[in-house]
Amino acid sequence: MSEFAIETEDLNVYYGKNHVIKNMNLKIPKNTVFAIMGPSGCGKSTLLRSFNRLLDLNKIARVQGSVKLFGEEIYSNNTDSIVIRKDVGMVFQYPNPFPHLTIYDNIAIGLKMNKLVKDKNEMDSRIEWSLKKAGLWDEVKDRLEDYPSNLSGGQKQRLVIARAIAMKPKVILMDEPTANIDPVGSKKIEDLIFELKKDYTVVLVTHTPAQAARVSDYVAFIYMGELVETGKTGIIFTSPKSKTTEKYLMGELV
Amino acid sequence: MIKIKSVKMDAFDLITYPAVFFVFLLFLWMLLVYFTNSLPAFQREGLNVYLKNIWIASEIPNKEYYGILAAIWGSLYTSLIALAIALPLSISYSIFVGDYLPRKFKEFMIIVSDIMAGLPTIIYGIWGAFFLVPFIKNWVMDPVYEYLPFISKFSQKPASGFSFLSAGVLLGIMITPFISAVVREAYGMVPHTYREAAYSLGLTKYEATKILMGYIKPAIISGVILGFGRAIGETVAVSLVVGNAFNLSANPFSPGYTISSLIATQYGNSFIYEHMTSVLYAAGLFLFFIGLIINLLGIYLLRRWRKNVSL
Repeated sequence: MSEFAIETEDLNVYYGKNHVIKNMNLKIPKNTVFAIMGPSGCGKSTLLRSFNRLLDLNKIARVQGSVKLFGEEIYSNNTDSIVIRKDVGMVFQYPNPFPHLTIYDNIAIGLKMNKLVKDKNEMDSRIEWSLKKAGLWDEVKDRLEDYPSNLSGGQKQRLVIARAIAMKPKVILMDEPTANIDPVGSKKIEDLIFELKKDYTVVLVTHTPAQAARVSDYVAFIYMGELVETGKTGIIFTSPKSKTTEKYLMGELV
Repeated sequence: MIKIKSVKMDAFDLITYPAVFFVFLLFLWMLLVYFTNSLPAFQREGLNVYLKNIWIASEIPNKEYYGILAAIWGSLYTSLIALAIALPLSISYSIFVGDYLPRKFKEFMIIVSDIMAGLPTIIYGIWGAFFLVPFIKNWVMDPVYEYLPFISKFSQKPASGFSFLSAGVLLGIMITPFISAVVREAYGMVPHTYREAAYSLGLTKYEATKILMGYIKPAIISGVILGFGRAIGETVAVSLVVGNAFNLSANPFSPGYTISSLIATQYGNSFIYEHMTSVLYAAGLFLFFIGLIINLLGIYLLRRWRKNVSL
């Protein structure tokens, strides 16, 4: 087993003729929060989606190079993207619990369809466990049969996190999880991310350097599809090697 | 004039208000015409017009007696067969067009199905009578009768292909473009983020699509209601293939009537008989009510859905 949760080697992603990710070499250590930051349109979200092969959904996306998940190549011919995604949970920029399913069913559906629990009892306790882990249990325990439309944005996002955790993944990918959430809700989610790294590897895409500074252990700065700099968060923020990174952190690069 | 100014009516209101009023008036007027004209039938037979399966058309008015239960049954039966065929077909079609077809073929397929929706129904009727009916007789009815002795013991050898089944299949083909247009549009508008969410849970294509189908359930319900309304009201095509016989039978191979085919085929000679016209009006009134109930049910279901789920 590799000491890294995710390793990429000469990773290139194209959308048609558009070269979006260029020769990316990243190493993401286990049980850390790894932040990917960069101005919008730099390819952060695309990079994140290459880690669970969600790019397969995009008909014009083409991936070259290698992505290893705990040492195993996920882009070889004999890996099944569906199996990989069971180990890699994902949280999205727009809080997207399924609106037509109850709070309970939102978490249950992945477990049910993947046959991860054997009976109703186990299902109930797994749902309680994941909601507690996501810090949402006390707020929704009396209305599990309600639809998520009445939850606040932050609560919806924590429900999505619970949905991902319930599958007991090894890695959780988060694509700007607080971009559409109010400050109080964002704070709760950031605290949660800090908690989650005890059990999971969290890869966090963020467009605010401040958030990366607050919650991450490692950070990678990406600009125009290229990796500019990566390393321990403290070091990058205090003494960046690259001028571009410095500019970005000063807020001079949009 | 002063009064009009005080409620702030401008020229646009003046043009549009009467139109709204007129549509509503037409609705009431039609209902009234149907009701008054069917009244004699109710006075003579009571609700037996709807509850009995009997059709005695006699030139001696005293002997005349009509009950359209068989036609009511036929309408519901053929429409349900139609839905059973059209719904899975429409959903599969929508998924195929949405997820698998390349863009070029997609547009082509959409145009084809839209043309099919707009074809005059007589075209389906002729095709049904000359092609579908013999086809169903030769390839469905006869083999079933021959190779499933259990069934043949309880029924007679089907004499022709004109039957509830033929009408149901033809109606199913006719309403598929309507239902699939609704489902296809809705499926195309599912936000990408829900698709990503479903796949990120490690679901297969089938499982993820099932979730997305749940998401567009209101559209599927609307499509079903629209299709059912079309099927139950369809006249010409059905009357050419359903066999036009008073038959209160659950056997899909037996010929039957539907309300609209009954009206269409009996209307021509109704003037010979004293009481028949009124009965045909009563039949029309029933169709009116079915339409009303179906639409109210649809509105109720959608409302309940919207209350729970804000998409």
